[in-house]
Amino acid sequence: MNNVFAVTGIVIKEMYRRKDFYVLLILTVLITGVMGSVTFFNDEKISRYLKEICLLLIWISSLVIAITTVARQMPSEKENRTIFPLLAKPITRGQVLFGKFLGCWLACGIALLCFYVFFGAITVSREHQFHFLSYFQAATLHWFMLAILIGMALLGSLIFAAPSSNATICFVAATAILLVGRHLNQVALTLRGGQQTFVYGVYYAIPHLEIFDVRDLIIHNWPGIAWPYYATAALYALIYGGLFVTAACLIFRRKALN
Amino acid sequence: MNAVLRIDNLRVEYRSKEVGQRTKVAVNGLTLSVSCGEVFGFLGPNGAGKTTTMNVLLGFVNATSGSARIFGVDVRETIARQRLGYLPELTYYYKFLTAEELLRFYAKLFRIPRAERESRIDAVLKLVELEAASKRPIKTYSKGMQQRVGLAQALINNPDLLILDEPTSGLDPIGRMKVREIIQRLKSEGRTVFFSSHELGEVETVCDRVAILNQGELKVEGSVDDLVHQHQCNLEQLFLKVIGYRAV
Amino acid sequence: MLALLFVLCFGTAAWLDPRYTALRAQRPTDVLSVLMGDSRKMFANHFFVKADAYFHSGFYPTIFDNHESFQTPHMAGDAGAMKDENEGEETAFMGEPRDFIERFTRHFMPAMHTHLDEGGAEGAAAGADLGEAPGGQVREILPWLQLSAELDPNRIETYMVTSYWLRKRMGRVNEAEQFLREGLRSNPGDSALLFELGRLYQEDRKNDDRARNLWELGIQRIQEEKKPLSDPDKFMLGNLSLSLSRLEESHGNLSDALRWLEVFKPVSPHPSQVQRQIDELRDRLGEPVSSVTSKEQAAP
Repeated sequence: MNNVFAVTGIVIKEMYRRKDFYVLLILTVLITGVMGSVTFFNDEKISRYLKEICLLLIWISSLVIAITTVARQMPSEKENRTIFPLLAKPITRGQVLFGKFLGCWLACGIALLCFYVFFGAITVSREHQFHFLSYFQAATLHWFMLAILIGMALLGSLIFAAPSSNATICFVAATAILLVGRHLNQVALTLRGGQQTFVYGVYYAIPHLEIFDVRDLIIHNWPGIAWPYYATAALYALIYGGLFVTAACLIFRRKALN
Repeated sequence: MNAVLRIDNLRVEYRSKEVGQRTKVAVNGLTLSVSCGEVFGFLGPNGAGKTTTMNVLLGFVNATSGSARIFGVDVRETIARQRLGYLPELTYYYKFLTAEELLRFYAKLFRIPRAERESRIDAVLKLVELEAASKRPIKTYSKGMQQRVGLAQALINNPDLLILDEPTSGLDPIGRMKVREIIQRLKSEGRTVFFSSHELGEVETVCDRVAILNQGELKVEGSVDDLVHQHQCNLEQLFLKVIGYRAV
Repeated sequence: MLALLFVLCFGTAAWLDPRYTALRAQRPTDVLSVLMGDSRKMFANHFFVKADAYFHSGFYPTIFDNHESFQTPHMAGDAGAMKDENEGEETAFMGEPRDFIERFTRHFMPAMHTHLDEGGAEGAAAGADLGEAPGGQVREILPWLQLSAELDPNRIETYMVTSYWLRKRMGRVNEAEQFLREGLRSNPGDSALLFELGRLYQEDRKNDDRARNLWELGIQRIQEEKKPLSDPDKFMLGNLSLSLSRLEESHGNLSDALRWLEVFKPVSPHPSQVQRQIDELRDRLGEPVSSVTSKEQAAP
């Protein structure tokens, strides 16, 4: 595990030395600040629209950070030939991949922490109350969702030739799952035969990222999620993320590097 | 002497991109061994199979058949690389890291204890004369400095076997002299050096034994002195003779 | 020749100028219209529905769910701004979970029907109707309603719904009036907005005279329409004439009350009941009448 953590540290260093994260954080703060400065009908206590806008920006930023960070990890190593001195050390390819996964996931976790601290500050300033439990669950579920996405993008980076195509496919897949993944079973009911089987197959195969999107719960101040369900969702994310990383390791193990 | 590096009947095939050819043989039936404390020159024209052989030794590519062992351990095992240092031909490292951070990262991979790690880093930086620039990001380094970083990372674990892929490529005469000095110093310390180069004059000066590859096959192997004496010519002339070069 | 050329140029300019000004006046000049074109109406509708979703604290059907009980946004139905066409149980739009994934997913989304004016999510979780605290949670729907109005200033329901919640539930009468007047600037003489503004003056400002003027203006606008009345116009004519009738009756102006009831009768869904009220008023007109008695008799 020492090797894995060493690679993890390098990935985290890379993320906070690049500008992407800071740009997105500043954009989020600016846009939320501008939206928060608007008053509607002289009522300064309106807060939910601001929470929704802030959370939407956080979600978009997190998807951008996660997917673009991961999509360029392995292609960049190969393109810059840094993979050769790395694999010439006593480190397995699986350790490199797992280190990359862990590094990206932890880096996204740090970014999410910054975003959600800002979100908490906005909420407290407007509502004068802080639902710590709900926000903690929302932030951590968001982080677990990113584990699935990072695993997916890591696998994609070994399959697709260009980081841009991998990133595009991951963005489209993530957005599609978040928007319509939950409803595929309803769509399947309206179909027949092979089409129905196909849609059902997709419905059961895809990682259901929408489970982790609990924005409505915290925007509208619903109570927190029961802990057994929360734990099950976390386990689901780690299993799915693990599956993607395992598939990536199996592909990378056999790949000739020359 | 014990063989530090042993290659037996190594064959490496690739899927060919050429029309009418399904596979291309990059290395065909290569057998050689390198003894402890030797400086071994691995020579051949471009496309001879030198880099492919090195890629197999380092685990970047799997051999189609045959075997390769380092310190008696199959090269596919990770532990085979514990006592190995490698300098690639094209030296690119993480641009966002400083030289010190890069060496610290590689030192962790070699499991060098924390107490010893910093002193090792300082020692190799001093050896390659990069102490002053060690805290600058590598992206600000010149080509020569990047080559020296490469050498530093190859030496960080005090390797018993050093594999160098064209170590003097792109260096100025002073740089080439420094690399030669380092190789000779390593040899005096009893370490083994296995390197490929196109600088035959340098090879003749530094190497104990050489092997010449052409089109994936081993053409000639032996000590420099014996080969030169046997063929009554210098190493460059021998090289050209072996690869079948005819002057126009 | 030069003089002729000058005359020609200036004459053409003088002829073109008013036509160009008229053409420019027809084109939208605000940024949103230029950027979005007609798609802004689509967005306006989206935000109007979003306000209803907020009204339900996020418990709202998607396009894949059963919309029978959400055809009319509840916040608009409660406000009387739109005719309630909802059918079925409000809590049943999702139906039973079809598989284990859907059953599990429902623990991560709002799954209880609630209205913001009844305590919202916190009230539902506490299992009690917390009622509407002063200024309460209904304020949360306002940004989306304002945005909807800005994107489609011709959508009357937006102004009516917003005005209702502002003045009736949040006590913000000035803001409600200002918003209605903005609506009237974008939709001059709209009868629904005049009706709502009249209600504001009567119920909140206690200014019956102003209310009467506004309602009469509303009726005048409807009656100026040359084409046959549409259903919404009939509905609004009914509201206006009935409100005027009641107002006049409360002031003891029975003849005016009778006149307005006769305007109401052709558009009323229950003309026979209206006729009974007309007959009662006629009877009263033939005798000395006290204002208390007339109010009791006027009640349907």
